[in-house]
Amino acid sequence: MTGISAGGQAPSSLRREQTTEALAGYAFIAVPMAIFLVLNIGAIAFMAFISVWDWGVRAGPREFLGVENYVTAFEDPIFWRAVWNTVRYALIVVPLQMALGLFLAVIVNQRIRGQTFFRAAFYFPAIASSAAITVLFIFMMSPQGLFNDIRALVGPLDIPGWFGFPPNHSWLGHSSTALESIMILNAWTTSGTMMLFYLASLQTISRETYEAAAIDGAGPWQTFWRITFPLLKPGHYFVATVSFIGALQVFDQAYIAGGPDGSPNNALTTIVLFLVRNTVFQVDFGFAAAVGVILFILIMAVTLIQRRLFGAAPAWY
Amino acid sequence: MAAVAEPIAVAPAGSESRRRWMRVAAYAVLIAYALLMFVPFAWSVSTSFKPNAEVLQLNWIPENPTLEGYVTAWTRLTPPLPRAFFNTFVIAASVTISNVVLGSLAGYAFSRLRFPGRDVLFVAVLATMMIPDPMRIVPVYNILLNLGLVGRGIGGYLGVILVLSIHATSIFLMRQYFLSIPRDLEEAARIDGAGHFETFWKVILPLATPALAAVAILQFQGTWNNFIWPLILLRDPSQWTLTQAMAQFRFTFQTEWAPLMAVVVMATIPIVVLYVFFQRYFVEGIAASGVKG
Repeated sequence: MTGISAGGQAPSSLRREQTTEALAGYAFIAVPMAIFLVLNIGAIAFMAFISVWDWGVRAGPREFLGVENYVTAFEDPIFWRAVWNTVRYALIVVPLQMALGLFLAVIVNQRIRGQTFFRAAFYFPAIASSAAITVLFIFMMSPQGLFNDIRALVGPLDIPGWFGFPPNHSWLGHSSTALESIMILNAWTTSGTMMLFYLASLQTISRETYEAAAIDGAGPWQTFWRITFPLLKPGHYFVATVSFIGALQVFDQAYIAGGPDGSPNNALTTIVLFLVRNTVFQVDFGFAAAVGVILFILIMAVTLIQRRLFGAAPAWY
Repeated sequence: MAAVAEPIAVAPAGSESRRRWMRVAAYAVLIAYALLMFVPFAWSVSTSFKPNAEVLQLNWIPENPTLEGYVTAWTRLTPPLPRAFFNTFVIAASVTISNVVLGSLAGYAFSRLRFPGRDVLFVAVLATMMIPDPMRIVPVYNILLNLGLVGRGIGGYLGVILVLSIHATSIFLMRQYFLSIPRDLEEAARIDGAGHFETFWKVILPLATPALAAVAILQFQGTWNNFIWPLILLRDPSQWTLTQAMAQFRFTFQTEWAPLMAVVVMATIPIVVLYVFFQRYFVEGIAASGVKG
């Protein structure tokens, strides 16, 4: 403690010392706090304010609408399409990411050669930009792309073919498969990140716990389900939260693949895409703000529910 | 956060042959998954060197390798590729510097200096991590528009830089690192009469290079790859960053895969180089921060 170090001094100089320290503290955090206040925390309050107005780009508030923007949203079938797409996306991507991340973490955490290499390799897709990855993915999933080429190569093992998808199916061009393709894309790019979170969490389980299990004669399968899996609870909570919040914000990939319209046929219209479309392209700020508030409530609700389900929060949640 | 430490051996139940079998299976999975990670990138590199007639063929080595794709990408991108690189670099470098400076100052205050309301303010900082970027676009767009920081000229850059200028992760990472440095050193400096800033600048900061590197790498990579803020705040095509230019290029060039893959390769190379040299910081930063999208 810095204050105690000055213990030998007179009380008045000690007080001066404390005041100086406090002033230095405020000075050190002033700029970041101001930016957070205006562009983060204040911005959310401002958004709630905008949402009850007919809001002009430069004119600002034009007419008080009350809940009308919210009613418009709830009556808009495209809004519901966006909500449904986003929720469906999250419900599939989150378990997929968690399972993949945990699976990879457990394997990489074994006593294996090349551990560092595999860890780095699995994280590799996460370093590239979503834009680059998505353009690459669009190419691979195009009718004559690599994915369909591989399907042709494996012949009878062409699993999508069993479900009736033609050999040159346009994965992102059909509304029945566009969003599902983006799900695969994101599970692929983020599995390494989820693995890193799980690896960090695995480090918290002590060696002794495993040794005790081994002495009791537990096999690998039992050890995993009875010890590793339950002890990873904080890890599950963290990964689930990060993954869910990320999934509810899905935008870049949908926008680059389907443009501002979420083509084909709004199959790629997610909540954030809908929000961006109404902010930048339709320039209806009041309405877009209402959609933003709804998304905010959705994300807060998910976080709270997850906290209930998984109990105590780790680190800084 | 230490990288993966000692691997943990799973219980040695079952016979020796069964364990060997499981080991083989584990390697098979690892290698297969590693291939799944690299193959798409290798495919983009391969395609970028193919002439247009060849891009849809399933050959890994181009039969008639050409730089056509790169030439098209270089000349026909909006803005021209060197300009897109410049825009991206200016924004990413500014954001990185800003995060390192503001993050280390605030991280120091939150870990070492005592002032009323410190803990509440720190919780507020962490709370900003729960407010996702896309949700802020309407109010932030409005605020910046009124400040003249949307659109053309220097203001366009400044808007993006301001929005990304400080991330809670930067403060959090710096604070955690400072907490791990013993206090004795600063006590000595303070007794010698050094002020708070001097102590921070001369004594503590030089010890914190690993954390500074992690913050810098995380922010540079994050900003280089950022899509939503440049899309919303940069209204002048000559200011577009690589991600923006890439998305637009894809909308206009549709199926001209060789130039598209050439852009993908060129935009990704700087980050791959960073990753190869500073892999440790990527992994540490991500594992310790989490909430970056």
